[in-house]
Amino acid sequence: MLRLCKHITIIIIILGLSVVSFAQNCNLTVSGSVNDLSTGKPIIFANIFVQELQSGYVTDSKGYFISNTMCPGKYHVYISHIGCETQELYINISGDTVITVFLDHNNHLLNEISITEEGGEITTEETQSLNSKNITQNSNKSLASMLESISGVSTINNGSGISNPVVDGLYGNRISILNNGVVQSGQQWGVDHSPEIDPLAANRITVIKGVGALEYQGSSLGSIILVEPEKIDIEPHLHGEARYFFETNGFGNGLNLELQQYSKIFGWRAIGTIKKSGDNRTSKYFLRNTGNQQANIALQFEKLWNKNWLSDLYFSSFNADYGILRGSHIGNLTDLEEAFERDVPFYTQDQFSYSISAPYQKVNHLLLKFHTKYSISEKQWFDFTYAGQYNLRKEFDVRRSGRSDIPALSLKQSSNYFEGKYRNYLTNNWELKAGVQLSMVNNTNLPETGILPLIPDYNAYEFGVFGIISKTLEKTTFEFGGRYDLENRKVATISSSIPREIIRFENDYHNFSGMVGISYQLGDGWEVAYNFGSISRNPEVNELYSSGLHQGVAGIEEGDPDLGKEISFKNTLSIKGAVKDRLFFEGLFYFQQINNFIFLNPQDEVRLTIRGAFPVFKYEQTDARLIGFDLTATCKLTEQFNITGKYSCLNGHDLSNDIPLVYMPPNNLYADFSYYIPKFGKFQNIEFQINSRLVFEQKNILPSQDFLAPPESYYLIGLKASAEKQLSKLRLNMYVRVENLLNETYRDYLNRQRYFADDLGFNLIVGINISF
Amino acid sequence: MNKFLLSLSVIAMSMLLFTGCKKDDPVIPNEEEVITTLNYTLIPSDGGTPVVLSFQDLDGDGGDPPVITGGTLAMNTTYDGSLELLNETETPPGDITEEVEEEALEHQFFFQTSIGGVSFTYEDTDTNGNPIGILTKVTTEGSGNGTITVILRHEPDKDASGVSNGDITNAGGETDIEVVFNVEVM
Repeated sequence: MLRLCKHITIIIIILGLSVVSFAQNCNLTVSGSVNDLSTGKPIIFANIFVQELQSGYVTDSKGYFISNTMCPGKYHVYISHIGCETQELYINISGDTVITVFLDHNNHLLNEISITEEGGEITTEETQSLNSKNITQNSNKSLASMLESISGVSTINNGSGISNPVVDGLYGNRISILNNGVVQSGQQWGVDHSPEIDPLAANRITVIKGVGALEYQGSSLGSIILVEPEKIDIEPHLHGEARYFFETNGFGNGLNLELQQYSKIFGWRAIGTIKKSGDNRTSKYFLRNTGNQQANIALQFEKLWNKNWLSDLYFSSFNADYGILRGSHIGNLTDLEEAFERDVPFYTQDQFSYSISAPYQKVNHLLLKFHTKYSISEKQWFDFTYAGQYNLRKEFDVRRSGRSDIPALSLKQSSNYFEGKYRNYLTNNWELKAGVQLSMVNNTNLPETGILPLIPDYNAYEFGVFGIISKTLEKTTFEFGGRYDLENRKVATISSSIPREIIRFENDYHNFSGMVGISYQLGDGWEVAYNFGSISRNPEVNELYSSGLHQGVAGIEEGDPDLGKEISFKNTLSIKGAVKDRLFFEGLFYFQQINNFIFLNPQDEVRLTIRGAFPVFKYEQTDARLIGFDLTATCKLTEQFNITGKYSCLNGHDLSNDIPLVYMPPNNLYADFSYYIPKFGKFQNIEFQINSRLVFEQKNILPSQDFLAPPESYYLIGLKASAEKQLSKLRLNMYVRVENLLNETYRDYLNRQRYFADDLGFNLIVGINISF
Repeated sequence: MNKFLLSLSVIAMSMLLFTGCKKDDPVIPNEEEVITTLNYTLIPSDGGTPVVLSFQDLDGDGGDPPVITGGTLAMNTTYDGSLELLNETETPPGDITEEVEEEALEHQFFFQTSIGGVSFTYEDTDTNGNPIGILTKVTTEGSGNGTITVILRHEPDKDASGVSNGDITNAGGETDIEVVFNVEVM
C-alpha cells in the first residue's frame, strides 16, 4: 500500500544530467518541497534526512528545502513530519534534481486516510485509521485498546489483557475484524474473548464505520476493522525495525522485530513479537493473576511473476496466555454479592507476581493466506484468495483435585475460505467491484474438559456474492451495491437432561444486503456524505443453543433455537473539512435500527442448583435503535501548537420494551494539547503532549437491568513525549508515555471486572524504535 | 494461470460436496467432577433412627429441578453428623467426599440454621489443625421450624477471624455447594 502511496505522492524530476558523470563534482542542486496530500498546501518544518550524508534539512515557511552540494550517487532519503508516516526514498542522483513530496499530513490530525486500498479506492463510507507510528507508540496495548483513540470506538474488557473493540455501540459478532483481508475466524461469540491478532504485525489499522459491509463475509452489522500489514517495499537492501517497550504497571516488556528485503526473485518480511506482563495494579492494590504473555510471528512473501501477475503469501501465528483476576472467580450469587461489598478483591496479595494460574485463557491462532492478483490492464484485474485458519482456545478454571490443569472449555475451530474478486475502472469514472466468497467452518469441543460444553459442535458453510458500483461526477460520488449470502449450519448439541443424548439441528439462512451512498464536495475542502444500508446477521450458535452457567456473572444463560436473524437499517451522515487551514473538523451522525436484536434478558425465574440459586437469562429478540454522533476537531493554533478534541455520544434503546439497551458505551470526551519542535540539536520531530479523557456515567440504564449500578464518571490525564534521531544508518524513535498520571481510582462500565475490582492505576511506558 | 483456476474450482467444488456431510457426533464428556448428590446423615449419639438430609440433582445445572429431602430432629439431642458427596452420573457413583478430604486445606464446610438452639461443632481437622466439616456434631434444644444450610467453600481463608469457628463472614473463597434443607425440631 505504501509502495503505491509513494508512486502517487512523490515526484522526482531530474533537471539536467551531469555531463561528466565519472567526475565527482559535488555541486549538484537537490531541492524540493513537501506538501499536504489532501490540500496541496506546503508543510512547514518537515525533516529531510539523507542517510549517506548523515545530514538533513528542514522545510521553510513555504515548504521548501535546498542543497547545493550533492555528489552524484545513490541515496536513502527519509522525509518525516510529526504524526506522518516517514517516507523513505531510494534515489539515484545524477544531476540537478527537484523532489516534490506529498505527505498525508492533515488527515493524520483526524486519524483519517485518503487511500484505503490499492489503487486509491473511492468510498463514501466513514473511514479512520491508525498508522504505524500510532501503533508503535502504543505497543503495550491490545488491538482494541489501541483503537480507543478513534472517536466512537470503545472497548469492552474482561480485565486488562482481554479486550474487544466496540464501534458505535456494537461489538463481538456484530462487527467484523479482518486480518490482512481475511475475516478473523475464532470464538467471537464471547465478550471475554479478545481478537487473536497481533497489532504489532500490522502497519495500519482502519475502522470503517459503515452501513453495510458488502465486500466482506461475516456477521458485521456495518462496521469493520481492518488490520493490514504494508506491502513489502521494493528495495534491494535488507531493512529492519526493532521495537522495545517497558511499562511500570504490570512490569510489562515487549520486543518486536521486523526484517524485510525485496531480492531480485521475491520480497519477504518476517515479524516476531514477544510480550510479557505480570499483575497489574490499580491505584491501591495489585490485581492478582492479571498477567499475560504472547509470542507471535508473521511471515510475508511477495512475488511479481510478470507485470500482470502478482502473488503473495502470508502466514501468522498468534499465541497468548491471559490471566484473569483471581478474585473474579466466584461460585454463586452470594459470592458475587459479597464481592460487591469488598473494597479489595479476595485473594489480593501485597506482592507483585508474573505467574499466571487458573483462571486463565490459552489461545492459539494460525492464519495462512495465499493471494494472487492477475491484471488484465492497469484498470482491470482479478484477485483470488485462499485462507485457512486454525483456532484453539482453552480456558482454565479453579477446579478440584488437580483438575485446574485440565481446561474447563476447550474449543478447536478450523476454517477454509475462498474468494474471487473482479475490479474494473470503467470509462466515465465508473468503477465496478464484484466477488464470490465461499467458506467452511468446523467448530468442535474437545472432550478433555469433563464438563458439558457451553456451545455445541457445528459445521457452517457460507456462500456469498456481492457487487458494488460507484461513479464520480465532478463533485459528487455515488456508490451502491448489493450482497447475497447463503448459510447452512449443521449443529450437534448434547442434551441437558439425562441420559445424555445428541440432538441435531440444521439452520439455513438467506440474506440480502444493500447499500447506497453519496458524497459531495462542497468546496474549500469540505465534504459531506450520506449512506444508507440494510444488512442482516444470523443468530450465532451461542444465542441459539448455549445452556449453562456463566460463572463470571453468576447467571444461567439459555439459548433459544427459534431465534430469527437480526436485520439492521443504518443511516450515516458525515461532514468533514477545514477552516482556513487552522481548524479541521470531522463529524459522523448515525441512526441505526436493528429489528429482532438479540440480547440476554433477565427472567423472573431463579434456578436452584447444588451451588445455590442462580438468576436465569434467556436470549430474546427485540427491536433496538442506536442514535449517536462522533466528533473530532483539531485546531492548529500555530505550526507548532495543536489542540485536538473528540466527543462521542450514543443512545441505545429497546423499542419493544421501551427500556435502555445494556452495555452501551457511556458518552466520552477527549482533549489533547501538543507542542511540536521540528529540530533540536541532534533530535528531530520532537513532540510533547498532554491529554485527558472524561468518561461520563452511563445514566441510560435501569437498576433492574444490572446487578450493580454503572460506575461514576471518571477523568484521566496522560502525558506523551517523543523524538527521533538519526545515528549513522540507524533511525531512532523514542517515546515516553504516562497513563493515569494522577493515579485515579475508577471503574469503567464496559469492564466486566468492575463488579470485583478497580481499573488500572498509574502507568509509565518508555519505548524505543530502531529502524535501518 | 489456467491450471491455477482449474485447481481453485476443483477445491471449491469439493468443498460444496462437503456440505452434504453432517457434523460428526460430539463426544459426550465424562463429567467426573460434577457433584449431583449431598447426603447429610445425622445419627443420634445415644442411638436411635438416623436422619438423612439429602439434595440430589442428577442432570446437573440445567434440566430437571433437584430433589431436596428435609427431616425432623428430636429436641435436646446430640447428633453425629457426616457429609457424603457423590457424583451419580457415573456408575458406580464417584466419591467426591474423598476428593474434598484429599484437599482438606483448600476446603471447608459451613453450617447455618434459622432454628433457635440448633448448633454445630466441627469434629475433624486438616493438617494445619483447621476444621473441614465432613464430620460434625449437631445439638438441638427446644422445638422449632426452619432451615439448615450447608455450604462448601473452595480456597477459603481458613485463618481469617472466626472462620475456624464456623463463621463464614470472613472466609472468602468461592462456593462449590450451597444447599438449604427444611428441618423441624420437635
